[in-house]
Amino acid sequence: ERTLRSADTHPDGYPTVEAVKAMGKMLEEKTNGRLCIEVFFGAQLGEEKDAIEQTQFGVIDMARVSLGPFNNIIEETQIPSLPYIFRSPDHMRKVMAGPVGQQIKDAFTQHDLIGLTFYDAGSRSFYNSQKPIHSMADLAGMKFRVMQSDMFVDMVSALGANATPMPYGEVYSSIQTGVIDGAENNPPSYESSGHYEVAKYYTLDQHLIVPEVLVMSKKTFDSLSAEDQAAVKEAASASNAVMQDLWNKREEASMEKVKAAGIEVVTDIDKTPFIEAMAPVYEKYVTSDKLKKMVEDIQATE
Amino acid sequence: MREFITSAARATSALATLSLWLAGIGLCAMTAAIAAQVFWRYVLNNSLIWTEPGSVMIMGWFIFLGAAVGIREGYHLSFDVLLYILPEKAKPWLHSLSDIAVGGFGAGMVWYGWELAEKVAGNKMASLGISDAFNFAPVVVGGGLIVIFSLERILRRAAGLHTARFGDPEPVEEF
Amino acid sequence: MELYVLFGTFVFLLAIGTPVAFCLGVSSFATVIYLGLPPVVVFQRLNSGVSVFALMAIPFFIFAGDLMVRGDIARRLVALAGAMVGHLRGGLGQVNITASVMFGGVSGSAAADASAVGGLMVPQMKARGYGVDYAVNITVVGSIIALMIPPSHNMIIYSIAAGGKISIADLFTAGIIPGLILALSLMAAAWWVASQRGYPTEPFPGLKRLGDLFLNALPGLFLILIIFGGVRSGIFTASESSNIAVVYAMLVTFLVYRSLSWHDFVEATKAAVRTTAMVLMVIGCANAFGWLLAYTRVPALLVEAMSNLSDNPIVILLLINLVLLILGTFMDMSPLIVITTPIFLPVAVAFGVDPVHFGVILILNLGIGLCTPPVGAVLFVGCAVGRIPIQDAIRTIWPFYSAAFVTLMLVTYIPSLSLWLPSLFH
Ligand code: NA
Ligand code: NA
Repeated sequence: ERTLRSADTHPDGYPTVEAVKAMGKMLEEKTNGRLCIEVFFGAQLGEEKDAIEQTQFGVIDMARVSLGPFNNIIEETQIPSLPYIFRSPDHMRKVMAGPVGQQIKDAFTQHDLIGLTFYDAGSRSFYNSQKPIHSMADLAGMKFRVMQSDMFVDMVSALGANATPMPYGEVYSSIQTGVIDGAENNPPSYESSGHYEVAKYYTLDQHLIVPEVLVMSKKTFDSLSAEDQAAVKEAASASNAVMQDLWNKREEASMEKVKAAGIEVVTDIDKTPFIEAMAPVYEKYVTSDKLKKMVEDIQATE
Repeated sequence: MREFITSAARATSALATLSLWLAGIGLCAMTAAIAAQVFWRYVLNNSLIWTEPGSVMIMGWFIFLGAAVGIREGYHLSFDVLLYILPEKAKPWLHSLSDIAVGGFGAGMVWYGWELAEKVAGNKMASLGISDAFNFAPVVVGGGLIVIFSLERILRRAAGLHTARFGDPEPVEEF
Repeated sequence: MELYVLFGTFVFLLAIGTPVAFCLGVSSFATVIYLGLPPVVVFQRLNSGVSVFALMAIPFFIFAGDLMVRGDIARRLVALAGAMVGHLRGGLGQVNITASVMFGGVSGSAAADASAVGGLMVPQMKARGYGVDYAVNITVVGSIIALMIPPSHNMIIYSIAAGGKISIADLFTAGIIPGLILALSLMAAAWWVASQRGYPTEPFPGLKRLGDLFLNALPGLFLILIIFGGVRSGIFTASESSNIAVVYAMLVTFLVYRSLSWHDFVEATKAAVRTTAMVLMVIGCANAFGWLLAYTRVPALLVEAMSNLSDNPIVILLLINLVLLILGTFMDMSPLIVITTPIFLPVAVAFGVDPVHFGVILILNLGIGLCTPPVGAVLFVGCAVGRIPIQDAIRTIWPFYSAAFVTLMLVTYIPSLSLWLPSLFH
């Protein structure tokens, strides 16, 4: 009997946390109790970058992380992180379940990791405290908090706004006092962080639809019997359905809650100028033929 | 023996002074970086993106350099209440045991800090564009200094020279 | 067994006088080796523990404090405060607590509060004849106020750990009255200790002299205005305010007072490096120790064991308080919030406790943990700026602990103290 330790930065009850718990239950059944999973939620074991390193070294067995922290480690992961690369969350799911997803999973292996499955993180959109945003002109000169990532900073600059990287915990007060005008995130985080209390305008431009990934330490994976390895992979894939279902419910509930709180949601925007503005970003990050091919493959996926 | 320690202490003293100066320059550089961040955002209405990761990295340097110098100068926080009830003869042994533990941790900082740096050497740090290995450089260098200063403490004590006690503001004698 | 290795090594090293940082680091190192895990994790946690932007407020406020002390800003400010309240017993103790309340209004970090208020007040209180332990104790326990009075990023962490079901605006508002009650009970304790020790009172110097002192202190008062106004009006964030304090202190002492020589500046910088390095090394090593506690599921096991003990709501709340105080003795605040909230909150809610009320209890409780040995970041900041051994501080800290504990009990058992103010906004 062996307990696999899995790290997650999201709080208990979050779809990814529950999905990995569900995976643990399935795994326990499939292996007659030889393997089970314990989820260490809420960044108890460290932030995502730390969890990746711990998994690489085999300190812990699994980690659920977003692709962002991998961008500077594995170049293939930059492609799904590109702004407006996916047309919709459904498009993203289809691509990640197909050959492009497999190509990215394979790239993890050289970094002592096994890519088990891709999860959903919905789509990120801008919210702010000043005015409803309908076009790129509305974004001009506004200050938005983004994650500390070169690509996201470049994206916001290309849209004509100012990217202001800052720690997540300071965002609420900073919007409240006006240090920044807003931030960007998916509906569940917009709601659970309380940012909707201080930023009343939410524009669903869906600029980022970045999947998340569940990885296993190669050390751990190699120590399992072939039968158990297969069970792990099956349970991980099966957990995806659990995740998707929880995610959809959660997103719906969050949107309902913020709307009830009087948030102005802007949905009718023409995304074309936003997408066209991304040309320099694509030029900067899609450099090799391999990456260009990936972008083409994604765009060709129906 | 005493002579060797005395001349070695001159070298470690210089090393400690150098580390403290570097750490102080780091603190000033960090001050300038964050001040620039505020100025750029508020006055120039533009955001600097390197200031946060840059100053966090500088902070790592001055913490580990400063912590190492603290081993030599004895300014770390400790509880030594229980030592009062022990016989006088046991104390140097326990102090040396403590120094061995601290030195061992310093050695761990060097060895495993290096291992971490190697692992992430191929990654680039966000917004700074330099190798992620630099993140762990302060751990390695600080650990090395902790090993050296812990060894000095053990040798000084063995030779009957004054060793700074933790929590005791009295400075180590210079030669 | 691994817990025996962890705590055994820790206690043994602590007893033979090893610096606290290294007690935490070495015991974590030993335990990881015992568990057969790759030891890299200890050093990764050490590095990650100090590579946190929010911690930067500690070096900056300590640096600003050192500059203000050496550049004579601090003496002038405290001279003014002393003239205003010197006729009260323990007057500067009350000033110290008031400063924490004001500071708490811009920062959500108790360690930053202790660095800012302590760096300024402790040397001056010492100079005016107050015991250093008294000054340190007030600074340390008083800085919990910063957690209670908005903004408080720990309230945000709590709200997120609770699944985002709790309004942050409500949590922020709920902390105000408990924060003020804490301030009042600490002021009472400060007055009592000052009377016991017979700290002298000074006669009121008259309005003319007060006016002179006011003009003298004006550039220092401006600093307070800049920090307060700067954060409130959105010019800079709470952590940036610490940086502005340094820049302003440099400008005033070099250019206005011309009171800081190059030599003073170098000494202030070195002193700030020493103080900061010793405090942050403890925080880094505690991060490794806390990782091991989380990895071995200590908090979760303790909490589970406790939640089956009783079904009386009063007893349950008391037990929750106790467990949080014990855990807070070893671990830092934010990991404890994320670990204990999902387990404790449903228990508390089942007994009819409002989640907003519970958040206030949790934060106050863990805040007390930051001030208690063996591992308390705020206690260490206080001892470091006061340059006294930890045992000297804790020998005389109990009246202040008692004041905080009484506040905790009041806040726990009188829900309206937390809930009345937010209810006005609904
Ligand atoms: Na506060
Ligand atoms: Na504590």
